[in-house]
Amino acid sequence: MKRKIFLMSFSILFLMTWISPVHAAKSPYKIGVNLELTGPWAEITKTLKNAMVMEVEKINAKGGINGRPLELLFEDNGFDVGRAAANMTKFTRDKDILLVVGPFEDNLQATTRAIAEREKIANIIICPSNPMVRDLKQQWAFNIAQSDIIVSQKLVDLSIARKYKKVLVFHGAWPLAQSLAENFKRFGEAKGIKVIISPETHKPTDIDMTPQLTKMKPVIQKEKVDAFYACTGGPPGPIITKNLRALGIKTPVLGTHAFGFGFIIALGGEAMEGVEFPAAKPVVFDQLDENDPVKPVNIDFDKRWTQRYGTPSDQIAGYGYDIIGLIEDALKRVKGKVTRSGLRDAFENTKGFKGTHGIYQFSPTEHDGLSKKDLVFVRIEGGKFKRIQFPGTE
Amino acid sequence: MDIWATIPQLLTSGITFGAIYALVGLGFVTIARASQIINFAQGEFVMLGGMITFFLLNKIHLPYPLAALLAILIVVLIGFLLHLLVIYPLRKASLPILLMATLGASLFLSSASALFFGTLPKALPPFSARAPFEIGNISISPQSLWVLVAAFLTLFSLYLLSHRLLLGKAMEASSTDPLGADLTGISRNLMIFLAFGVSAGIGSVAGIFITPIFYVSYYSGTLIGLKGFIAAVLGGWGKHSGAILGGFALGVVESLSVAFIPSGYKDGVAFAILLLILYFRPKGILGSPFIDSRRW
Repeated sequence: MKRKIFLMSFSILFLMTWISPVHAAKSPYKIGVNLELTGPWAEITKTLKNAMVMEVEKINAKGGINGRPLELLFEDNGFDVGRAAANMTKFTRDKDILLVVGPFEDNLQATTRAIAEREKIANIIICPSNPMVRDLKQQWAFNIAQSDIIVSQKLVDLSIARKYKKVLVFHGAWPLAQSLAENFKRFGEAKGIKVIISPETHKPTDIDMTPQLTKMKPVIQKEKVDAFYACTGGPPGPIITKNLRALGIKTPVLGTHAFGFGFIIALGGEAMEGVEFPAAKPVVFDQLDENDPVKPVNIDFDKRWTQRYGTPSDQIAGYGYDIIGLIEDALKRVKGKVTRSGLRDAFENTKGFKGTHGIYQFSPTEHDGLSKKDLVFVRIEGGKFKRIQFPGTE
Repeated sequence: MDIWATIPQLLTSGITFGAIYALVGLGFVTIARASQIINFAQGEFVMLGGMITFFLLNKIHLPYPLAALLAILIVVLIGFLLHLLVIYPLRKASLPILLMATLGASLFLSSASALFFGTLPKALPPFSARAPFEIGNISISPQSLWVLVAAFLTLFSLYLLSHRLLLGKAMEASSTDPLGADLTGISRNLMIFLAFGVSAGIGSVAGIFITPIFYVSYYSGTLIGLKGFIAAVLGGWGKHSGAILGGFALGVVESLSVAFIPSGYKDGVAFAILLLILYFRPKGILGSPFIDSRRW
């Protein structure tokens, strides 16, 4: 009796797998996603994850790509280099995974890029690489975020438009912030701006910059600097501005593109008023020019995002849209069987993909997809991001 | 550049920091005086004070003073629970085991805060008008004065508790002479229980007063807790006056050090001071009731 039941259930199970829709459809294209889903950036990466899931569901509802659905496999790296590397290695061992997205943070990506290079799998990262990594000319990693070079060039444009002759830079003690400061000096001095990089630095964990700024105050007064560049990202940005104002220094503050988050304004409060920085287009997508090609992309995406998650979309959600869009675009262009190297080559030949952040162009020599044209100037006014324009700089 | 011109400003910033370290150090000392336990979850009380106030203020939309008061009560409750769930069941265990247990509790509290309140840093609005005062070349933010007020009020109420009230004396007795306390009918467990509540209250007050100056995030309790501990050891482990003195000494030295060495080493200064104190004067500046002075 028992044996009979066992046999029956076994055969039913067997039949079920036979007729199940998964087997009826073609097997999916699998993408590995390696993100900091826990740890300090958990809320940011959750936004990214939600956006990617939403876009993949949209593609699959339309019948997938070449008749095959897209599938995302998420792994949490907990903001830990070791776990990020382990996730990356795990993904490379799965022969069905065609490409890996993430990690999000600068200090984890160098490791996964190196693994991607060795194992020959494309790796999309969402943070500008630091110059040491960029000089390696890696062929398998692609950056979809605004690079330190274009941000610095745009900031020089802003300084010229504002007629700043002398700018004091207070940068973070990590490679990306250092490179932003050095690039700003290089491009700025070529245009005749005097850039002073302060020997004082700060760490991402510093909760008070008053001592450093106190030491810089005599320099600001003696050199009569026109602007103060807070070359940083995350909480130090608003902390610097707040401390600067508490010390009674009224010099205008310039920021990096990492200032374009709502929580940055909330942290800095009133001190953030008047801070200007080059920002990604999704930060002020509703204020873009009517003929801007990425405006409709943003408006459509924001509508679907608000409908589903009930909050306004932001630049991180925009990255999620762009990642999935770029992958879809590349998959469609692969000829014949889709392999890891085929997908990489197609990705490298991306020309003019319209995302929320801008128009992506990749080439064998350029693995940073965005250009200076994909940035706008933003000023914080009344606790909101407001686009500012200067004739001849767009 | 003239280093000396920056000293007065650095000093004011150091005094603000000193008051914060002193408050956190006081929390450590309160528990140590009742039980000799080093409560490494002290920094989390500070974090929770700021975090819960933020939550009550911005999500439940309570008025600021009410939100702050309610947050203190909630953190005191968490302090009581910490004793009931972690320390009391382990009352027969040795001190190192209790120390590990408080470390575990600290990890638990910070992760729970990340789950409930999210991982992005948060800031509270300042208590009063934001324009900083200018005195000569020094500017002082009003919130720094609030922190000083909070530190002195807390110190004063602790002084009253331990010198004027029987309860405070009983708390102290249960630590300095457990057998004597038992013989006079003092419930030592009750005293430790109360000490956890008081210490959580002090921590949350510190958290509420400093969040408008800095910000609070689920991981910010660890470093501030460590600095407060260093302050308490520096001044004399187990003495309220020691924690206050140690706090201000640490804050001022740390801040002034920036004038002479690159600011990247600022956090290291506190730990270097701790090492030096442990080498040459382990009982701290004012001496410690727990460390036998004859040995040193």
